[in-house]
Amino acid sequence: MSSTEGEILDGIAEVARAHLGWEGELRPGLRLVEDLELDSLKSLTLALEVENHFRVYLDQEAGIVTVGDLVQAIARHLDD
Amino acid sequence: MTESSTLVGLLETAAESPECGLRFVDRHEEVRKFAWPEILLRARRVAGGLQEAGVVRGDRVALIYPTCPEFFDAFFGILLTGAAPVPLYPPVRLGRLDEYAGRTAAMLMAVNARMVLADARVRRLLGPALERARPELGCRTTATLPTAMPTPVRVEADDLALVQFSSGTIVDPKPVALSHRAVVAQTRCLNSFWPDGDGVVHSGASWLPLYHDMGLIGCVFPALERGAALTLIPPEVFVARPAVWLRTISRFGSTVSPAPNFAYGLCVDKIRDEEMEGVDLGSWRVALNGAEPVAPQVLRGFQKRFGRWGFRPEALTPVYGLSEATLAVTFSDINRLFTSRRFDRDALADSGRAVEDPSGIEIVSVGRPLPGFVLRIVDDEDHDLEQGRVGRVLVRGPSMMEGYLGRPLATAEALHDGWLNTGDLGFVAGGELYITSRCKDVLILRGRNHSPVEVEYAVNEVEGVRTGCAAAASYLPEGADGEVLIVFVEAAAETSEVRYPGIADVVARVVRAAAGLDPDYVEVLPPGTLPRTSSGKIRRLEALRQWLGGELAPPAPMTPLRLAGAVLRSSLAMARSRRSRGG
Repeated sequence: MSSTEGEILDGIAEVARAHLGWEGELRPGLRLVEDLELDSLKSLTLALEVENHFRVYLDQEAGIVTVGDLVQAIARHLDD
Repeated sequence: MTESSTLVGLLETAAESPECGLRFVDRHEEVRKFAWPEILLRARRVAGGLQEAGVVRGDRVALIYPTCPEFFDAFFGILLTGAAPVPLYPPVRLGRLDEYAGRTAAMLMAVNARMVLADARVRRLLGPALERARPELGCRTTATLPTAMPTPVRVEADDLALVQFSSGTIVDPKPVALSHRAVVAQTRCLNSFWPDGDGVVHSGASWLPLYHDMGLIGCVFPALERGAALTLIPPEVFVARPAVWLRTISRFGSTVSPAPNFAYGLCVDKIRDEEMEGVDLGSWRVALNGAEPVAPQVLRGFQKRFGRWGFRPEALTPVYGLSEATLAVTFSDINRLFTSRRFDRDALADSGRAVEDPSGIEIVSVGRPLPGFVLRIVDDEDHDLEQGRVGRVLVRGPSMMEGYLGRPLATAEALHDGWLNTGDLGFVAGGELYITSRCKDVLILRGRNHSPVEVEYAVNEVEGVRTGCAAAASYLPEGADGEVLIVFVEAAAETSEVRYPGIADVVARVVRAAAGLDPDYVEVLPPGTLPRTSSGKIRRLEALRQWLGGELAPPAPMTPLRLAGAVLRSSLAMARSRRSRGG
């Protein structure tokens, strides 16, 4: 993982801690629904807060299933 | 001037009020405004394109948009062609899309949608759903419609105005078909509750999704009928930043703004004082609370917390309704503090009698029937029950659905001689309705309806679960802020009890993935434990009743974390409170 992706992961972890109360370690392999136990309200919150944090819009993304997918999606948008 | 009896007529009349219209607040709280005449003009352009593409009166056209001006271009454009709009919800931005595709395809097929109109971004994600449903005229954005002058179509009061789903589901979607007559009658009833006067000109604010009956029928149509102002906030902005809702009300001096119970709780839990700087909620006269069971301590918590910012305690107005009646059925008095009474628990549970008891369970009144509506409380043989007896709630009135579209059997089950069987249980006391249990076929969680069938269907595939032997139910525990979800499953024969906790874990995960719901309890039971009807169907409400009474199995929480309090608060709220305690 590149250093940028590491920073993105840290940023997501910060958002998850602040807005979802997630206290564990955040690894790219974790699945949002199954492992982070996000219901629809929480996943909306995560989406919006991650967007605010990184100042990106993810609404053209499809199939973000894992934390790693989310990192990749944000990285793509930051490159634009 | 004759009063319009169609939404098209209401739109044409609203277009005579150029000073008002719809405002759209975005996540940065920037505002775009569209006056009613402009909204009509934009809709006419879409109508011309739809007609050119082949849409005709009597068709159903689905529309899938977030909260944005284009929703209204599409919605009113469809109406102007004489077709019925079917608003469906856009995909969630994180997580799996296959579940969404299945659900959307099922809903498109259930209404036999001839075309789908969607936002450009949503459209890119619709492929799999469209592949399955294959709408005859395809999926278009308003920008890709042909350019053509609209041909005026005569729309009648009996034509379908709208098809809405009481709960989105793959397994058994029930499209509620509403005529213009019904929708307009409901809209006028709502507006009669907040007449302009005494120096107050009403205006609305809403973060409710536009594919939700309370958002579209409860907020947009009353503003349309009056040519009034309405400010709209995207629901995802509210969920992440509830303060935006209250700030918007203050900023525009909005007088009417509804929300389900959970939203009021979310505000109390999530909004920080500094986010409320300069906010004055004094303009907010009507804070409707409906769509899910009303928890008295949530109302009190909201009054107490936001009184500091001018919130009028009497503004909170518990209401009751259901999509099959278009929206509202009963309303509390607008200018009165909400009413709750305490009733003896055992008398309610055992003999279905409402006996007042100062130490009993507190239930909030949802008020009296709307003008023109009549309630009946009946027993299982359809005999009327007297005041204070718990029974099934039947309603008739001017805004009943035509039926479930293409589902004559389901319609016949719900509608008899104009009486709608709500499926809910309740009683009347002092002329007001008290609901004791919501419909057995709907799970109402976080303001949205879900079908228990969908949850049950999803857990069927879990290894160790006896096929077809699951039941999902939701209820409002005493003293809780919102409904909790419980899933009962029977283990497959010869499954060791040692495996039960593991099965429960998998069931919870599958439910989250399939329905986006986090079960508060999963109860794994030995085969044959769940109560059944003579024909072998599992009785959800009876299972819940037995479980609550400790007869089915001891109510045991899923994980120690839940034990800490998830039953009492939504898990989101809990995450917040843990965070604030941690500094």
